[in-house]
Amino acid sequence: MTQKATREGLKSHNRRLVLRSVFAGEATNRAAIAIYTGLAKPTISDIVGELIDDGLLEEGGHGESTESGGKRPILLHFRPQARQIIGVSITANRAHGVLADLNGEIIAHHRAYLEDSPDKDALGVLQAVINGLIAQLDAPLLCITVGAPGIVMSEAGVVKAAPSLGWYNLALADHLQARYNVPAYVGNNTELATRALTAFKSATPAPHLVMVLVNGSVEIGIAFAGGIYHHSGDLGALRVPPSSDPLEAYLGWEFVERRVAELLHLDPKTMLPAQFDYLDIRYGYQQGDWLCGVIYDELAGHLAQIFAWITGIIRPDRIALAGEIVDMGEELVMLATERASHLLPPELLDAVTFTLAPDPLLSVTGTIAHALDRELGVLA
Amino acid sequence: MIGIITNDETNIFQRQVIAGIRAIAEPKGYAVVVDSIAQDPANRKPISLDIKALSGVLVIANVLPNEALRDLYHSGKPLSLVSHRVRYTPIPAVIPDNTGGITELVNYLVTNRAKKRIVFIQGDMNQNDGIERTTAFRRQLMRHNIPIDDRLFLRGDFTPNVAEASMREFLAQNIPFDAVAGADFLMAISAMRVLEGANMGNIAVVGFGDGVEAAQAGLTTVGVDVEQIGSRAARQLIGQIEGLRINGVTLLSTTIVERQSC
Repeated sequence: MTQKATREGLKSHNRRLVLRSVFAGEATNRAAIAIYTGLAKPTISDIVGELIDDGLLEEGGHGESTESGGKRPILLHFRPQARQIIGVSITANRAHGVLADLNGEIIAHHRAYLEDSPDKDALGVLQAVINGLIAQLDAPLLCITVGAPGIVMSEAGVVKAAPSLGWYNLALADHLQARYNVPAYVGNNTELATRALTAFKSATPAPHLVMVLVNGSVEIGIAFAGGIYHHSGDLGALRVPPSSDPLEAYLGWEFVERRVAELLHLDPKTMLPAQFDYLDIRYGYQQGDWLCGVIYDELAGHLAQIFAWITGIIRPDRIALAGEIVDMGEELVMLATERASHLLPPELLDAVTFTLAPDPLLSVTGTIAHALDRELGVLA
Repeated sequence: MIGIITNDETNIFQRQVIAGIRAIAEPKGYAVVVDSIAQDPANRKPISLDIKALSGVLVIANVLPNEALRDLYHSGKPLSLVSHRVRYTPIPAVIPDNTGGITELVNYLVTNRAKKRIVFIQGDMNQNDGIERTTAFRRQLMRHNIPIDDRLFLRGDFTPNVAEASMREFLAQNIPFDAVAGADFLMAISAMRVLEGANMGNIAVVGFGDGVEAAQAGLTTVGVDVEQIGSRAARQLIGQIEGLRINGVTLLSTTIVERQSC
């Protein structure tokens, strides 16, 4: 590394420290920032001056004098409206994006379905959503973050394999950076959803968290001590004994559709409509429908195995179930936990909280958290 | 110049949307012209705007048939729909978050107010907003494990008179209920009046959308800023005019406005 690069790296690090101290409310004036960060007062003065010039901080009002007297310090405030961030999560069927301020407050949503696009081109739909949000900008754009399914090399900004989108070794961050002339980042959707649960002040604290996301496939996201482990992701292709079918064949939506079709041959009397989803199954289960009961039982059994593996290997504080399957409600989590109790000793299982993460926009929220981490370091 | 095609620019909703459009478009140097083609619904007029002379077109609600919208889109003229969308096409649109708003309303009634038998006055079921709000209402009841009773879904067509007639007819059937939700706030206000007339003014009533009339009536609503629908639509259209290729919908968030009715 050159001396210049080292200097710039240090400057950037210090700038983040200063910004984070004000953002988090740890310090509200220059002297307090110096104490909190351990940086020299002239350094603080320079950085605060730059942050004010950039519009990220502003001065306003005076604080209390210290016990030894002296001038009352000028208060510093973070300006969340100074920049805006675009975050988009793309899946096999749609791209959903948000425009947010630097507090993570969402200003506008934009959504497009791949099936509505004439050429069904996932990259084209992603850009159409980003364009839709650029049209709504009220402040300069800070950066763009995209969440994608499959194997994503976050640090390199490359989607290594997202078969459902037809993306292989796609240098997405570079592509977006060149097109929109702002920094761009990418991450795996499930990792980002996990980040969302640990990021914002309202999040339920869980230092060691594992998210199991079930949609078309099965993915996991892992957070240790609030930090994201960047090599988790798609589990759906794992082969499961004794049949050696992939895991998604037991837990994904295709499994549900296949089992419903098989069970209807046994007894066609069910309250499930011809076109159904997870919520219809839950409604049927609550009304005592036999077929929905079988689906609950089988899904809970398969989910219990995953819960048991994760608990046995990682011993997290919390395992959160996410994705479209959350429409099956707490009942599924309770059944799966009960089934997992037959696979693990109670002292292991009792240390874990099993919950639903019902927010359908967790991955999108995670893109904003990731952007704030990477660009400003304010959530770290 | 930006053209707006609407059914009746004097209606409350349209008036506020157009004000939002003007607030964004005019400072950017775009003149705004409005064509009300269905002020008299029985005698709809053809479009009088010279489309070729316009930089772009905004179409409010379902004033034009989908086929005409598709033709307009495929002509290459920048186009945005306001509070309407055409599924299976990439035509960009700005719509309220119907699903999010109705979900909030149902959660409020069920969780905060312990209501279990909620009458829902539906909107125009030929319009996107009407379909989405009814679907969201049914699905949120299912999430709360509340059995669906089709007798509690009344016709409203986003028309206060229709909602009022449906409410009167419903009350005559003596079907048990403990709350009323309107797919828009004007229909909910009509229902309030009917309930008050029947000495049932203590029944909880809520509505989707918000406006001066809702505030005056003391109606609890899930609000969407109608003027912002217009301003966001203007930004979307201007973005296209200036070269952005946009498809899909911009969704506007809603918030609960608690008042005396619930």
